[in-house]
Amino acid sequence: MTHKLSTPDQWLDLHGDILYRYAFARVRVPEIAEDLVQETLLGALKANAGYAGEASERTWLIGILKHKIIDHFRKASREKTQGFADQFSEDANNDYFDRQGGWQIDLSSWSKPDVSLEQEQFIDILQHCIDRLPTKMAQLFMLRELDGMASEDICKMMSISTLNNFWVILSRARLQLRHCLDLKWFN
Amino acid sequence: MLTCKEASFLASKKLDGKLAWREHLGLYLHISLCSLCRRYLQDVKKLRSIMRAAGKYDQLLLPESVRLSAQSRERIQQALRNVLQKMEQ
Repeated sequence: MTHKLSTPDQWLDLHGDILYRYAFARVRVPEIAEDLVQETLLGALKANAGYAGEASERTWLIGILKHKIIDHFRKASREKTQGFADQFSEDANNDYFDRQGGWQIDLSSWSKPDVSLEQEQFIDILQHCIDRLPTKMAQLFMLRELDGMASEDICKMMSISTLNNFWVILSRARLQLRHCLDLKWFN
Repeated sequence: MLTCKEASFLASKKLDGKLAWREHLGLYLHISLCSLCRRYLQDVKKLRSIMRAAGKYDQLLLPESVRLSAQSRERIQQALRNVLQKMEQ
């Protein structure tokens, strides 16, 4: 089954915001997300002839965007990643733990029944909490959790030297996010 | 016995399926005795399932209010037109 393609000058109106949201969720920087949307549409224009019409037009565009996002992270990591993991040494967790390594925050359980992504208020708070993470940490967390990308692939793509560094950063991200959601939503 | 700080790290690492058997043992011994870390493990698992669900339904991940600005929309449209014109020539 083939789908009819809309004309390229309709792409932005039809898919622009969806592509933007997809990119923004992962790169967390509006300007970069905008550039990625532009690159995607221009890339699609050039590849238009190769479109087989098997996927929907939107799926096809998101497929192109995925590659643009990966390219972006590769390029960015070549420029400035050194020392990124060092910021999150063991000591950085001291605000959550006391000197003996015991919990220093109130760990009240997430007792509200089911959180639903259809609750707009929850989505807002989740985004707010993700935005409070350092950008790079948020990017890494999103790639791992949202897309389930393999840890090894993320390390390679973002030039993180060891898996252990990666786990330290992820662990930090989860601590911070859990705590933020705890304060803003569950309590 | 692990500290809670160490246990929280292993709880997170566990989600990536990379615990060595010794770490696995240490974590389970710890959470069998520590209700706070048991909760923490539950919470990070829940966080994971929320994020995975969001990843499957992209339209649910960000509020509709997150959209291209009029300015960038105009800029992108212009860039598209430029390339289209060149292609037609």
